Amino acid sequence: MTEKIGITTTVPAEIIYAAGDVPVDLNNVFITGSDTHSAIERAEMDGYPRNLCGWIKGIYGTVLAAQDIKKVVAVTQGDCSNTHALMETLELAGIKIIPFAFPYDRDRDLLKLQMEKLMECFNIGWEQVVRIKDELDRVRRLVWEIDRLTWEENLVSGWENHYYQVCCSDFNGNPEEFARETRKFIEKAQQRKPFSSGIRLGFIGVPPILTDIYQYLEKAGARVVFNEVQRQFSMPFPQADIVEQYRMYTYPYHVFHRVEDISREVERRKIDAVIHYTQSFCFRQIEDIIFRTKLKVPFLSLEGDQPGQLDARSKMRIDSFLEMLR
Amino acid sequence: MKKLILGIDLGSRNVKVALLDSEGFRYYRYDTMEFYRRYGQRVGGSLRIDFPALGLPRAEKVVSTGYGRLTVQVEGGTVIPEIKAHVLGAVHQTGLKDFTLMDLGGQDTKIAKVANGRLIDFLTNDKCAASSGRYLENMAIVLEMPLEELGKHSEDPVELSSTCAVFGESELIGQIIEGLPMERLAAGVNQTIVRRVKPMLRQLLSKTVVFTGGVAFNQAIKEIVEEEMNVKVIVPPEPQLNGAIGCCIFGMDVK
Repeated sequence: MTEKIGITTTVPAEIIYAAGDVPVDLNNVFITGSDTHSAIERAEMDGYPRNLCGWIKGIYGTVLAAQDIKKVVAVTQGDCSNTHALMETLELAGIKIIPFAFPYDRDRDLLKLQMEKLMECFNIGWEQVVRIKDELDRVRRLVWEIDRLTWEENLVSGWENHYYQVCCSDFNGNPEEFARETRKFIEKAQQRKPFSSGIRLGFIGVPPILTDIYQYLEKAGARVVFNEVQRQFSMPFPQADIVEQYRMYTYPYHVFHRVEDISREVERRKIDAVIHYTQSFCFRQIEDIIFRTKLKVPFLSLEGDQPGQLDARSKMRIDSFLEMLR
Repeated sequence: MKKLILGIDLGSRNVKVALLDSEGFRYYRYDTMEFYRRYGQRVGGSLRIDFPALGLPRAEKVVSTGYGRLTVQVEGGTVIPEIKAHVLGAVHQTGLKDFTLMDLGGQDTKIAKVANGRLIDFLTNDKCAASSGRYLENMAIVLEMPLEELGKHSEDPVELSSTCAVFGESELIGQIIEGLPMERLAAGVNQTIVRRVKPMLRQLLSKTVVFTGGVAFNQAIKEIVEEEMNVKVIVPPEPQLNGAIGCCIFGMDVK
């Protein structure tokens, strides 16, 4: 029987699909849900601290509210250490937890071993996984095209770019349907007139919990032409070998791999400035130091806590930043 | 006809207005809550201000700043970002072109680096206002000391470790119970402001720091920054009206 498997961030989705199950990116379920605040409130009522990442609390509340998610693959290395307590509290609530770790140093053998252990949990072998990889790669290629249409042809908005790439963590639970949606979008986008030239922004860091940031930027004459982490979800480096594919994926490893990737894309996409988004209370705020030092473009650090629209202070900071770039 | 420009800085604690005509600047200051309650009205997407009731003449040009685009969109006026207003004001008031602006307001901390008269980078506080004017006001109340007096002390500060402005109050009360001299407590309060601002200031430091916002009236903070950061700190003649002045300068330059 097909089962929904929650995932806390991108994991090799091929393995879950190969088992005939359906991966569900819990972040996406949380943020697109009708009542994001009650998910967070649920976590806080159970004792999650107020000063903790909104994504973690949101995932917790979302899993407990969902009737059909009884198993979660939790990324214990390569995402954030709050996930440890998240999976433990979910386990306390009766959810089966399958841990998955991206080795910090990108060690191929360790990563392969992790993938094999995950495959073992789902009772499948390499052959099935590789077959699914080919299928998913076909969908990914469509999303790469959307990304290209964003920065090279200027036909796609920052939010659309964000949406299609962020969906690649679980392909919305139905790769075929998602591929159809994507193809339709590409056809539509190709008919458009290109966006007029304005400030070209790179958006680096985790996907934002704020709902109107892309729209706000576009109204102010700036368009995001690079969504760093979301793009990584689409596995943007063509690789025949699946282990290598997840080794090239920059997000879970040493931050300097991300710096390299960002620098390359800033150049290629002719990006004027970068916004580094972090969650309030996240360790990634420390990494701000590294990005600020290493990236040679104007730089704005932006912070979000709970789901919702940009607050007045963030708007003021964005306005000043764009004004400075003009 | 003389050209008359109104610059309005809608701050969290005070609304500051600068009026510029051929005779120069005139300044006005209002409590923010009272300003919105008595003289402001939301019409459509913008703020209608009852200028006659405020005793202000009709201006040819109105430029406003503050935060939240909608709340500062004064009817018939132009809105400019706060940091831009402050940079324009600081350049105008000091005649300097290369400096770091340190603006400490009611809730805001803004650090901006200015090179050749242009803003090149900035940092602001986010999600926490523990280094703001509001913190100083609260602490002055706890110490039962006027703000002017609080701002005189920098010697031998007591250690206040709390990162939270609200918990800071109870920590200060604890120190009062210990019987420590008021001067040292006041110095401790001033020291905490500097400690909060220092990391931001360090990142965007210049040899000269222009200190604006209501907190700039605090002489002790100026001295502590000068000593600890080894820089020259200049407080312009109207530190609190700097943003409003910047709005007027913007209005003057735009045709």
